[in-house]
Amino acid sequence: MGSANPAAIAQRSAHSAPRESIEPASRHCPGQGSMWFFVIGDLWIFSCYFACYIHDRARHPEPFLQGQQLLSQGIGVLNTVILLTSSLFVALCVQATRAREIVTASRFLALGFACGAGFMLVKGGEWYLKIHAGFPESTEPFFVYYFMFTGLHVVHVALGLLILALLWRELRGTKEPRVEFAETSATYWHMVDLLWIAIFALLYLVR
Amino acid sequence: MTAYLRGPLTLVWMLLVAATVVSWWLGARGDGRPLQVNLAVTAGVVAIALVKIRLVVWHFMEVRTAPSWLRYNCDGWLVFLALMVLALYRYSS
Repeated sequence: MGSANPAAIAQRSAHSAPRESIEPASRHCPGQGSMWFFVIGDLWIFSCYFACYIHDRARHPEPFLQGQQLLSQGIGVLNTVILLTSSLFVALCVQATRAREIVTASRFLALGFACGAGFMLVKGGEWYLKIHAGFPESTEPFFVYYFMFTGLHVVHVALGLLILALLWRELRGTKEPRVEFAETSATYWHMVDLLWIAIFALLYLVR
Repeated sequence: MTAYLRGPLTLVWMLLVAATVVSWWLGARGDGRPLQVNLAVTAGVVAIALVKIRLVVWHFMEVRTAPSWLRYNCDGWLVFLALMVLALYRYSS
């Protein structure tokens, strides 16, 4: 089941049932519209938070630059790679679900879930080290934003892991797993990934 | 599984990881000297982040094959984010 070639499946699907294709049909909405409504709304809300952060740091850059100096960029990069890898696995899970290769889809989902859990562990470790080491009062404006952004994001990751667990139940517990369910779950999970890309750049890297 | 991993999505993932490393290099703290405000670094880091977000939206979220209303919404938000961040960074001080 796990040895099927995606290229061969895509080629075969041109002559057989369209559901065997791993690629979405043209003009196909990937997942439920209600999830997209939520995702786009969430992105706009986060944009408002980003605007407040950039506005504050542009007005008083010193506390933000000093605070950034106390962050580990390596941990930020590690978590970015973990979440990107998780996103890849979940995207491949959707492709395998579309090709009705449910065992393969489940394996990709398990890998994606494990990476998501790994992200939470690394983030927990980073918080522990930061709280344990403390930070100067002068850097407080930066760390208020740091804990707010990373805290809000971790809540999103936790909800994403719950959604991935529901997708696991869909894949393993039903005879005909719904492709739309996989797409909808993946849409939420990728939003978690792209929010982290923005948070990583704004908290760890900008000057 | 390996057949899926040889597909185009893995190439997208490689690009994303490479872009992450480049942005890390661009925004690296270096020798521990106090950080300074730097518009060029900020613009570079934000531009790379936007490219990464576009790759995730287009390929992982499969918006490249989505209806036009969804593609315009995603790209509209991304353009707004880019302009907002750079404008506030430049003119809020």
